[in-house]
Amino acid sequence: MPLAPTVLAALEQAVESGALVTDPAQLATYDCDGLTGWRAQPACVVLPASTEEVQAVVRACAAADIPFVARGAGTGLSGGALPVADGVVVSLARMDRILEVDLESQRVVVQPGVTNLDVTRAVEAEGYFYAPDPSSQQVCTIGGNVAENSGGAHCLKNGFTVTHVTGLTVVLPTGEIVELGGKALDPDGPDLLGVFVGSEGTLGIATEVTLRVVRSPEAVTTLLAAFRSLDAAGAAVSAVVAAGITPAAMEVMDSLTIKAAEQAFRPDYPAGAKAVLLVELDGVAEQVADDTKAVRAVCEEQGAFEIREASSEAERALLWQGRKGAFAAMGRISPDYYVQDGVVPRTRLPEVLRRIEELSREHGLRVGNVFHAGDGNLHPLVLYDRAAGEAERAKELAELILAACLDAGGSLTGEHGIGVDKACAMPGMFSERDLDVFARLRRAFDPQGIANPGKVLPTPRLCGEVPGPYRVHPLERTGVAQRF
Amino acid sequence: MPSVSSLAEASELLASAAADGRRVRLGDDVTLDGMASVLEHEAGDLTCVVEAGLRLSPLQVALATHGQRVALDPPGDPTIGACLAANLSGPLRHRFGSPRDLVLGVTLVLGDGTVCNAGGKVVKNVAGYDLGKLVCGSRGKLALIARVSLRLHPLPAMSRTLIIETESTAGAVAALLRSQLQASALDVLHPGRVAVLFEGSERAVDAQIAAARALVGGDAADEDVWEEARRRQGEALGRLRFGPRDLRNTLSTLREAVVRPAAGVAYVPHRVSDVLPARVRRLNDAIKAALDPAGVLA
Repeated sequence: MPLAPTVLAALEQAVESGALVTDPAQLATYDCDGLTGWRAQPACVVLPASTEEVQAVVRACAAADIPFVARGAGTGLSGGALPVADGVVVSLARMDRILEVDLESQRVVVQPGVTNLDVTRAVEAEGYFYAPDPSSQQVCTIGGNVAENSGGAHCLKNGFTVTHVTGLTVVLPTGEIVELGGKALDPDGPDLLGVFVGSEGTLGIATEVTLRVVRSPEAVTTLLAAFRSLDAAGAAVSAVVAAGITPAAMEVMDSLTIKAAEQAFRPDYPAGAKAVLLVELDGVAEQVADDTKAVRAVCEEQGAFEIREASSEAERALLWQGRKGAFAAMGRISPDYYVQDGVVPRTRLPEVLRRIEELSREHGLRVGNVFHAGDGNLHPLVLYDRAAGEAERAKELAELILAACLDAGGSLTGEHGIGVDKACAMPGMFSERDLDVFARLRRAFDPQGIANPGKVLPTPRLCGEVPGPYRVHPLERTGVAQRF
Repeated sequence: MPSVSSLAEASELLASAAADGRRVRLGDDVTLDGMASVLEHEAGDLTCVVEAGLRLSPLQVALATHGQRVALDPPGDPTIGACLAANLSGPLRHRFGSPRDLVLGVTLVLGDGTVCNAGGKVVKNVAGYDLGKLVCGSRGKLALIARVSLRLHPLPAMSRTLIIETESTAGAVAALLRSQLQASALDVLHPGRVAVLFEGSERAVDAQIAAARALVGGDAADEDVWEEARRRQGEALGRLRFGPRDLRNTLSTLREAVVRPAAGVAYVPHRVSDVLPARVRRLNDAIKAALDPAGVLA
């Protein structure tokens, strides 16, 4: 159903001429984000160029009670930017300016459409960088990072987006503009920045973001250790942590992922490796040297049969190449794949990986495991062939993997977000009361329910009357005391 | 003063207050002294779950036996719940952040007695709204914090302190922040002194002390200065916030203060009024009305 002419006129007036898209052919490019299985055609796309224009757009939506969905680069993996059919998409693509670089304060102020990597590019000549590094960092935007609380391989030591956002200008779903935080930390009152970052576009639209940038480390070393089994690599991860070392990144690839990477990029990983562990250490030179020695010893103890060490940028890029291209490489060995983002306590990694292997065998589908081992964030890649009718089985397998993560005391998502993809799985992790409290908080920001409706929280329309596949709630199973 | 000793009791207490139309001031009308246990400590995961009435010092003692700590060192010995509710931190804030950076999950009791959970006990988790962060700084007005799941850090192998006495504390701070040294704490004890804490392996700590001295001078000192920083912070009546670039100007307006320059926070001996903009205040009111519509939590 198209929007009423009066609404369209209001939106047109809200933004500069040409910044309203209604042509169906052009709208088609906005019908999904990185989770391409979900598609919906919006009524229109608006491209505001300032906070005031965003405010005018939101006010027009609020006045007509039309849902809107904010959109950055559309690289999200949970359908967080999936349009509401016949609703409005607010693209922040035009708001792509870096407003201020203040290195004395270690802050950069940007508009939401600035890409993640451009923040680092703006400060790297001065020896600083922006720490969160989602693998889409060349194209994904800060606005999207704020919405999803994006992570990345190097968040283990430096923290996620929420650790690096010190101030926000937000257009609330009511059309009101609020300024949260600033360059100084510890604002008075409840931590509104903390609840807004990661709220997946449901609490408003960020139109200006103050980011903390970090001084580049004096030394960086990357180690690659090859193991004969995934268990041994997992044990090495635990042993590194037990040794009191906090690496900048700690990543594991299993044999299937190694095989795919070899076919795609020939990173020349050690022959016969059933698992590869990448550990990056950074900081002051002496500490990095001491930690490198300790990590090498730990890996050898756990049975690593080859360890490579990179200290130049070029060598490091080579070691990382296979890991960074792992998702893309899967395309070489499987027509389709489905990525999960479950998290488990680090100590439960071995048993959950074994469970995934079992499930994979039971379902007759291959699962590649590539994961942020340091923080227990798994990215199992379920390989399937849609053309061979395996999609349903793949979905079931993926859901069982998430259930296994929850059973181990973990989370549905470590960095991709709930979006539309996992909204129906939320009752597996949270009780009805928890979800009701979330809904109450959401209404405080968005009394009309127009900001990205249908995302994050399960709705009967999306999930049916019966909540998703995770019916048995851990709270009921183990009692309140065990529940967290 | 009544103390609750379980989650169920806390829920009942607030539910009955709501039913009777009574208001409850957390910390004054009720304490969580009876909820002071470590519920879980997974050393291998560097996480723990504690009852919010637990004070920091017994928690640190328990964690230290595993070579770990919660990287929070506010003045006094507050409960974990108070650390969150009042957003308390100390010198370690420089490197490890404030409670919001260490909280992984919470169990809350709302004003009507509703028990709810948010977050979890894994260090990386973006499922649902982060109520654990929201209640940081909420001063007991949004919910009773009953249980907290925390991220832990390994205790450093060793630590050493450097004190720089200088008329240009701002200049010393700028040089240290611009360097690639990684201090765990960096305070200005205004006027006249900068204190820096380095932690890590013996070799790395010694190297950092030497590099810092080459950069800004100063002398190795014992750790008493951190007690002084905490004591003075605890005695301060107000807190100022400033863009870190404005350190020099900020100091020039103050007779004495304990300052965390990278955070842009100064603890000062005079009262400072709350500076939340009216629109943020309205949003806070809306959140309060959503979570505690009867206004039980005063």
